[in-house]
Amino acid sequence: MADAPETFEEFRKSFSYGERSDLDFKFMKSLSDDEAAQFLAGLLAHVGDAYDHARLTDIIDYVIDWQARAYAPAPDAKRTWVYEEGPFATPAKPLADSRVALLTSSGHFVHDDDPEPFGVVGMTQQEAEERISEFLKVPPELSRVPVSFAPGELRVRHGGYDVTSAALDHNVAFPLDHLHDLQADGVIGELHDEAFSFMGAAAQMRLQKETAPEWAKMLRDAEVDVVLLVPV
Amino acid sequence: MCHVSVGHVGRAIEEAGIATTAVYVRAFGHVVDEMKLPRVLITNHPMGRPLGPVGDRQRQRAVVASALSLIDSATEPTVVDDLGPFRPVGG
Repeated sequence: MADAPETFEEFRKSFSYGERSDLDFKFMKSLSDDEAAQFLAGLLAHVGDAYDHARLTDIIDYVIDWQARAYAPAPDAKRTWVYEEGPFATPAKPLADSRVALLTSSGHFVHDDDPEPFGVVGMTQQEAEERISEFLKVPPELSRVPVSFAPGELRVRHGGYDVTSAALDHNVAFPLDHLHDLQADGVIGELHDEAFSFMGAAAQMRLQKETAPEWAKMLRDAEVDVVLLVPV
Repeated sequence: MCHVSVGHVGRAIEEAGIATTAVYVRAFGHVVDEMKLPRVLITNHPMGRPLGPVGDRQRQRAVVASALSLIDSATEPTVVDDLGPFRPVGG
């Protein structure tokens, strides 16, 4: 008996860790069939327009709008991490006198200090994507990047997003070059000698209860005044 | 998921007495509100490129500087929108 034809629902979900996995478009899994059809038809209309008007930027704006729409929680969605209020640390010093550290969830690391998740040496980006459900069961590991790293030493791997841009130019998600410049210009007092990065797709409860407080203590012990956070 | 993870980390760092400032993309702006993060700049960039397009040093630096400026300017939890368009270099 022949296999049943692929449904539209299966098609749109196949971009999220399925046979068409494309992390730039995995958001189609979060849309309804009708919404995904609307998105794809609109995308093709924009491409057609671009033949005549060369407005490629319209396509980018359109996709970013749909990405935001797809990730917005439904009004009746159960949300786990919702707080009435949050901590607000009053800075002890002006920024220009502060020691600043960078911490991102972009998954950057130095090539000879690969965190080797699950004991895998040289894990590829593809394998990280294929093992995303395993990453979600364990707390994240923090990679330390000396801020004096040579550009060729930096690597990025992350099972949750398309790392193409972050691999081409780490500053799209790991802006160390700009922090160096801001230090040279006196905008920040001092750049902490290590930057930090981890893969944010991780076990949330353990991150919240154990890992995050440990990292906070490490930063306090290092006398860091300000942390620039970049989720990816 | 990443955006919630960084929310946990940011809250823990603030509870340890260290000021944080963060850059979130618009698609995950709801996390900023849900987790009551103290200082956030929200960009209109696509997931995976929160600070701007590849090679656009001017845009990237502006975003970083703007987020950091909240350290001096924010006297209470502050979220600033910087929703300039995402324009690839040479595009």
